[in-house]
Amino acid sequence: MFKTEELQINIGPQHPSTHGVFRMLVTVDGETIIDLKPVFGYLHRNHEQIAEQNTYLQNMPYTDRLDYFNSMANNQAYAMAVEKLAGIEVPERAEYIRVLMVELTRILNHAGALGFLINDMGMWQTQLAFGMREREKILDLFEMASGARMMCNYFRFGGVVRDLPPEFMPKLKELLVAMPAFVDELERLLRENEILMQRAEGIGVLPKELALAYSVTGPVLRGSGVPYDIRKAEPYSVYDRFDFDIPVGSVGDVYDRFLVRIEEMRQSKRIIEQIVEQLPDARGGHINPKARQNVRPPVGDAYARIESPKGELGFYLVSDGSAKPYRYKVRAPSFINLAPLGDMCRGYKVADVVVILGSIDIVMGEVDR
Amino acid sequence: MPRLSPEELRERMARDLPGAVLEATPLRVAPPPAHGPQPAPFVTTDTVVAAERIVEAALYLRDTLGYAFLSDIAVVDYLADGVFELVYRFYTIEGGDGLVLKVRVPREAPEVPSLTPYWPGANLHEREAFDLFGIIFTDHPYLRRIYMWDEFEGWPMRKDFPKQGDKYIGADE
Amino acid sequence: MTVKIERGQIVTVERGQRAARRIPGLGLLDGMAVVWKHWAGSFRKNQGFNDIHGVFTFEYPEERPKLPEAYRNMPILLYDEETGHELCTSCFQCERICPPQVIHMTQAKDPATGKPVPAVAEFVIEYDACMSCGFCAEVCPFDAIKMDHEFELSTSDHQKLTVFKEQLNRPISYYERIAPTMWAEVREGAMKKLQGNIKRRPDVIGMAPNLAEKIAARRRELEAAAAAAAAAAAPEAPAAAPAEGRKLTPEEKAAKLAAIKAANAAKKGGGATAPDTPATEAAPADEKAARLAAIRARNAAKQAGEAPAAAPAPEAAPADEKAARLAAIRAKNAAKKAAEGADGAPEATNVSAPEPAPAPPADGRPAPSGEAAGTGAAPADEKAARLAAIRAKNAAKKAAEGHDPEGS
Repeated sequence: MFKTEELQINIGPQHPSTHGVFRMLVTVDGETIIDLKPVFGYLHRNHEQIAEQNTYLQNMPYTDRLDYFNSMANNQAYAMAVEKLAGIEVPERAEYIRVLMVELTRILNHAGALGFLINDMGMWQTQLAFGMREREKILDLFEMASGARMMCNYFRFGGVVRDLPPEFMPKLKELLVAMPAFVDELERLLRENEILMQRAEGIGVLPKELALAYSVTGPVLRGSGVPYDIRKAEPYSVYDRFDFDIPVGSVGDVYDRFLVRIEEMRQSKRIIEQIVEQLPDARGGHINPKARQNVRPPVGDAYARIESPKGELGFYLVSDGSAKPYRYKVRAPSFINLAPLGDMCRGYKVADVVVILGSIDIVMGEVDR
Repeated sequence: MPRLSPEELRERMARDLPGAVLEATPLRVAPPPAHGPQPAPFVTTDTVVAAERIVEAALYLRDTLGYAFLSDIAVVDYLADGVFELVYRFYTIEGGDGLVLKVRVPREAPEVPSLTPYWPGANLHEREAFDLFGIIFTDHPYLRRIYMWDEFEGWPMRKDFPKQGDKYIGADE
Repeated sequence: MTVKIERGQIVTVERGQRAARRIPGLGLLDGMAVVWKHWAGSFRKNQGFNDIHGVFTFEYPEERPKLPEAYRNMPILLYDEETGHELCTSCFQCERICPPQVIHMTQAKDPATGKPVPAVAEFVIEYDACMSCGFCAEVCPFDAIKMDHEFELSTSDHQKLTVFKEQLNRPISYYERIAPTMWAEVREGAMKKLQGNIKRRPDVIGMAPNLAEKIAARRRELEAAAAAAAAAAAPEAPAAAPAEGRKLTPEEKAAKLAAIKAANAAKKGGGATAPDTPATEAAPADEKAARLAAIRARNAAKQAGEAPAAAPAPEAAPADEKAARLAAIRAKNAAKKAAEGADGAPEATNVSAPEPAPAPPADGRPAPSGEAAGTGAAPADEKAARLAAIRAKNAAKKAAEGHDPEGS
């Protein structure tokens, strides 16, 4: 009779749907996946050792390039870690500006991530193009404030490098006017699409207990039903002043993660509206005037983490009292979120691998550092 | 579960897991300068656990104290003291600060029991620690290099790794 | 199902199709309606940030986006068109802070003394490795290096991406045009610092090399001032200073030579100590005096070279011998007065004030015996001045030995 053989095929590293250079060694029996082993390291740039040779301030533009999609979030986490280590305080207005930037980053990340997910499913960039168009507006806002669209390098120890220019707020308010319509359209485009539901419902299920054991964070964890969001669990910066909800999924499949991301875009918009309201009354300037940028923190260690759009982004810094960090470690969410990839894909078809990978939403700059 | 501070954790662990908690000896973070004032040593406030008891301690945190979420395993190379320090970070779903367990292993023979059988997420963390520092995790199901290619020799993130080129760079330049 | 937490809720997302849409295919059509709306809207241009339909496209390169002021791409160096001077002083702050270490520079040195001058000699930036982080522009204390808006830098010539100072230089008006608010904030401080730096830059060091006419004009200016200074002492003052060329005029050259000779003589007489250090207590008085005379001669030569701040007598040239004799007489008188007064404290050289212009020790170098050094550029009257100085010194020494063995 016909006997099938287990075949080991290689997805990547040069592959349009692997979100960067990422290789997966997939063992298949026919089309069903038996095992999947992810292979990393194609974008390893030795970021952590470079950081040991640079001063704390010189590391800031390198953190931009970690998760290159969300540079403001990387900056935020690093600035928080150094401030914790050196004991620098941040004025209120600077905190508001920081949260504003990170929430804008969250919107643009989810718009892009969903677009790439849908692209991977084969629906050819319609959602991606819609998402990218709104993303362009947010990138224009970043350009106005920080000077660059993606590699923003906007945060400094004790605040941000310069205050928001006068043309920023009117444009932001205009953007907020259109934001609900945008998110609704993005959702309406594909939420009830039969093809999407066939390809996303029940695919890549990560049960709740396993999600916790796998240390996943971010929309992947929340899609599996665990309501853990660092902004609510361990509030940092000024997040405790805003009202926002945490969307969680129930099943933990690709469809849940899709819906969770759309809901998070709505919640981010809610936070931004509250910022726009509260920002004019914030005290302080855009940076702590007493903060030295060539900081020499006392001997010790510090860990700061934020809820970046992809999960928990943390920086662990050990200082030896000099101007350069002794140890600089990045806890990258995409890296850890890839741990359950093997388990999530087992039993599904080869075509689902790309979809599941897209739903985890990785950026290889973070994974490989 | 009440949120614990490091001191409370140490108390409880000293009570329930006798012998696991070690004294947090001060570490010299940088090699002492030839002359001039010595930099202050680093005395950590977190709990230091003996290397063999880490699995027990971690399970104690998870089952008894409710800190089920292992967030991060970081490795720091203290060249001046000749130890690697592994920093395990645990959080609880209810939120709040995490708890940190630190394990110190000598640089010449770094062996730590692996947490992977209980926390599959530790798999990638431990592979990274192995690849970059050379720490051997016993009972790890797939301890292979993760960033560098498999035949690479050397442990790149160690402090004594030559930065001015080794046999892979500079040999034919 | 929602659970209340602090300032929010935990909301479980609704899955699946709404009841009304159980008919297969309607979800697809619903999504198509969105696409249709966008298609219909694509016949008009997008109105702004509050509009999600319409065509967003910029027809580049015919239509260009307007870049915000803060936009940063690659660094450039600024120079002031009015004075022609570059703002950069080669302080190395940008080189230190650059994370990928792509900035390299060397400091300009004074050709006469070899001392560093607040100007930059060579400046290189490797554009191909620059991260465009903007740190160099942030730390520059003189606002000399700024971030440009030019992003169309693609080239097939890789060597061209290592950019040198001549290509990095831009006039301040260029930067003012692209970033007016940012320049307005720093303009005053930058210009004040520039004025201070110009004062300490000898000759035409520090001027942007592409401003050939400005450099020539400045040289002319400097030389005219030098000539005016020398004209008081030198009858053959050049009618028109040479318009170009770094060659010194004959008087300047002679003065420099004389200064060097004097310095050498003082060195030989004074031992290993450098002639321009102030006299140490160990040296005997006459050595000290000779050295002092040498210093004075050199200073006068230098002052003849640069534009003298105060040239109180642009009068017609009296004969140089007469001036020298007058100087000698005055010196003798002063020495006599000093011997009578017999205080070794340094006093302002008020004696030198009524002297003819060429050697105003306008910075008031203290002199134990109030006599002024050389008068100008011509070797003849230089020698006469030195002779006068030596004579005065001897007189003072004789007087001082009587009172206080330690001159100051």
